[in-house]
Amino acid sequence: MVQPVKDIVVVGGGTAGWLTAAVIAAKHRARMDAGFTVTLVESPTMPIIGVGEGTWPTLRSTLARIGVSETEFFRHCDAAFKQGARFAKWTTGAADDFYYHPLMLPQSFAQLNLAPHWLARDDGRSFCDAVCPQGRLCDDGLAPKTIATAEFEAVANYSYHLDAGKFATFLQKHCTERLGVRHLLADVQTVNLTPSGDIRSLTTPQAGDIAGDLFVDCTGFKALLIGETLGVPFRKCDDVLFCDRALAIQVPYASDAAPIASQTISTAQSSGWIWDIGLPARRGVGHVYSSRHISDDEAERELRDYLGGVGKDLPVRKLVIPAGHRETFWKRNCVAVGLAAGFLEPLEASAIVLIELSAKFIAEQMPVCREVMDLIAARFNSTTQYRWGRIIDFLKLHYVLTKRTDTPFWRDNLLPETIPDRLQDLLLLWSHQSPWFHDEFDRVEEVFPAASYQYVLYGMGFRTQVEPSMLSGDAKTAERAMRENAIQTERLRAGLPRHRDLIRKIVEHGMQAV
Amino acid sequence: MPTLELLNPREHGHLRLRAAGGQIPHFVQILAPEFLVAATCCPVLFTKNPETGVFYAGAMFGFKPGENLLGSEEERGGFQPLMLQREGFFLSEKHIAIDRENARFSEQEGEPLFDDAREPGKSLRAIQRTLGEIHAGLERTDAFIAEMNGLRLIEPIEISLRFDSAERLTLQGLYTVSLDRLRDIDDAAALRLFRAGHLQFAYSMAASLKHIPRLARLRERRQAIG
Repeated sequence: MVQPVKDIVVVGGGTAGWLTAAVIAAKHRARMDAGFTVTLVESPTMPIIGVGEGTWPTLRSTLARIGVSETEFFRHCDAAFKQGARFAKWTTGAADDFYYHPLMLPQSFAQLNLAPHWLARDDGRSFCDAVCPQGRLCDDGLAPKTIATAEFEAVANYSYHLDAGKFATFLQKHCTERLGVRHLLADVQTVNLTPSGDIRSLTTPQAGDIAGDLFVDCTGFKALLIGETLGVPFRKCDDVLFCDRALAIQVPYASDAAPIASQTISTAQSSGWIWDIGLPARRGVGHVYSSRHISDDEAERELRDYLGGVGKDLPVRKLVIPAGHRETFWKRNCVAVGLAAGFLEPLEASAIVLIELSAKFIAEQMPVCREVMDLIAARFNSTTQYRWGRIIDFLKLHYVLTKRTDTPFWRDNLLPETIPDRLQDLLLLWSHQSPWFHDEFDRVEEVFPAASYQYVLYGMGFRTQVEPSMLSGDAKTAERAMRENAIQTERLRAGLPRHRDLIRKIVEHGMQAV
Repeated sequence: MPTLELLNPREHGHLRLRAAGGQIPHFVQILAPEFLVAATCCPVLFTKNPETGVFYAGAMFGFKPGENLLGSEEERGGFQPLMLQREGFFLSEKHIAIDRENARFSEQEGEPLFDDAREPGKSLRAIQRTLGEIHAGLERTDAFIAEMNGLRLIEPIEISLRFDSAERLTLQGLYTVSLDRLRDIDDAAALRLFRAGHLQFAYSMAASLKHIPRLARLRERRQAIG
C-alpha cells in the first residue's frame, strides 16, 4: 500500500510562497477534482521581506504558464521592463567606467562565438555594442517592445523590475481565484512529526491542525521547517562573498514624466555596491555592503551621497543579509524555496529565478507517493546545489575581475583563498579560450548562460589570448554577424518607444494576447 | 491631423460635395457588417493600431503601401468601404464635422450639401446615413473583436509570397480567426456567437483568405504585362 502525495502545504506568503503555490497548482490543476490540494498558510502578522525587485526573463514564461495576463501584471505590480544591468565603477572606479550585462544573446550565438573575433579586432568598441543592440537601447531609454507586440513576446529580450509586495498580493489573488489554492491566515505554533521524522501537520490557533504530504518551506530567513524543525544547517559563504548588510530606500521621481531606466544600475562603492531599480511610481535604491569593511553609518553616508539629496528626509531600512544556503534543500517531506533555502546579494537578481526554477522542478517532478520522494529529493538537491554553486561563482566573478585597489574591500576580494577553486580553474581556461555555449554551462536549465560570462568578462576588460589562425575559418561569418548587429541596432533604436511611454500605453490600452 | 469644423448651414451653406476619389489605400479599415460583402472580393484581416495595439479589421486591396490591385469599384464587385464613402466627414459626439481641406469640398463643382431651405441635400443625407452605419458598425465590430479575443480565437498569420521576378514579400502584423479553435468552443459560446451574428463574421473572415493567392496571381499578371 503506497502513501500517495496529494496534499501540498506551502508555508509563507511572500514572493516565494505564492509563486511556488502558483506553479504547482497550475501544473496539477486537472488533478484537483481527484483530491489533489495546494494550501498556502500565511502568518497574519509576519511582514514579508520583499526587497527582491529584479528578475530574469524566465519570469515571462513562468507568468504565462500560470495563466496571468501580462497587462494585468503591469497594472497591479508597478512593473517596468528590465533589459539587463549596467555596472558602473566596478573595473577601475573611474567616473566613466561602466559596462552592460544585457539579456539578449550575442548575435548569431548559436552559430559562432563572436568573442575571439571581437578580441582580435580590438577597435575600442565595447563587447556589448559590438555583438548586441541592447546596451544602446538602454542608453536611449527605450522599451524592449512596442504596444503592438503580443503579451510576453519580445522585440529585445527582457525581464521585469517589480514591486515585490504588490507582486505577492497579485499572485495571491490569482492563486485563490483562478488556480484553486486554499489560503489560510494562521500562525504555525507547533510542527508535528510522524514517528519516522516526516512532518505530519502544523498546529495553528486560527485554523487548527493542517495536515500535508509535502511541505514547502517559504518562511524566509526563519526557515521554520527546514532549519528549526528538521535541523538542516545553514552553510555560510561569506568567505567568498563579503556583503552581509543592506540599506534600502524608496525615492520618488522628480516628475511623472521622468524617464524610467530599463536596466538595473549597479554602482560600486568603497565596500560594496548600490542597486538602483526604476519602477513607474518610484525608484528602489539600496546599498549592499560588507560590515567587516564599513560601518552602517558610513554606508548610509555613501548611499545618501549617491542619491545626491533625493529622498534626504526619507528613512532607510536596514537588512541583515547572511550570504549562504542550506546544506540540503529537500529533506524528508519538506523542501525549502526562497530565503528559507538561502540568500545571496542581489547583484544578478538570482533570488526570484531560483524560486521559479525550484518551483518548476517540484511541480514537474512531483513525487506520486512518499515511497519515491527521497529519490526526487536527491535529484532536487543535486540540481539546486549545482545552481547555488554556479551563482556564487558568477557573483564572485564580478569582484575578481576588478582592477580597483583603493580599499581593503576590493583588495580582499582578490585574495586567492576567497576565490572558489572551480572559478580559478575557469579563469585559467578563459585566459586561453573564451566561454561559449558548448562550454562549462551545459545543464538544461543553467541559471547563467555562457553569454552572461562573456558580457561580464569582456565588459570588465578581461583578455583571452587569441590565435589569429584559429579565427580565419569563420572570419567572414563573424564579419557578417557584426554588420547585422549594427543594422539591427539602428532599426531597433528607430522603432522602439520610450520606456515610460510604453508602460503608460500598457496601463491604458493593454497588450493583446497574440 | 486635419482641423475639423462642425458642419452647419450658416458657414457651409455654399459648399458642394464631389465624389470620393483619389488613390485607395492598400489596406482599408472595415466594419463587421461589411465583412460578408468584402469577403466576396478581397481578404478581410485583423491588424493592430500601432498607437494603441488594439485590433481592428481591414480589407486588403494590395500587398504594400501605394499598391492597389482592386482599384476600381467594379474590380471590387461593387464593394465600397464605409470608411471611404465618408471621406472628409467625421462624427464628433452627435454632430457631423468636416475637414475643409479635403478635396471633396468645392464651391463650384459637385452636389450642394444643403438645399435652398438650408436643409441637408441629397448628398449630405447619404453621408448622414453612412455615418450612422459607421457608428453602429463600430460598436458591432468592437463587440465581435472582444468576443474573439475573449475566446482566444484570434491568431497571427504570416503571409510569405514569392513572385516570378524573384521579389519576396513577407506580410507581418496580420491576424485572422482560428477555425481550429472555433471548432473547440463550448455549446453556450457557439450559441452566443451565432445569435450575435459573430459566427458569420468569423467564417467570412476565414473564407476570405482564399483571396490572398488570387491577389498574388493578379499582381503577377499585371507585372508581367506592365
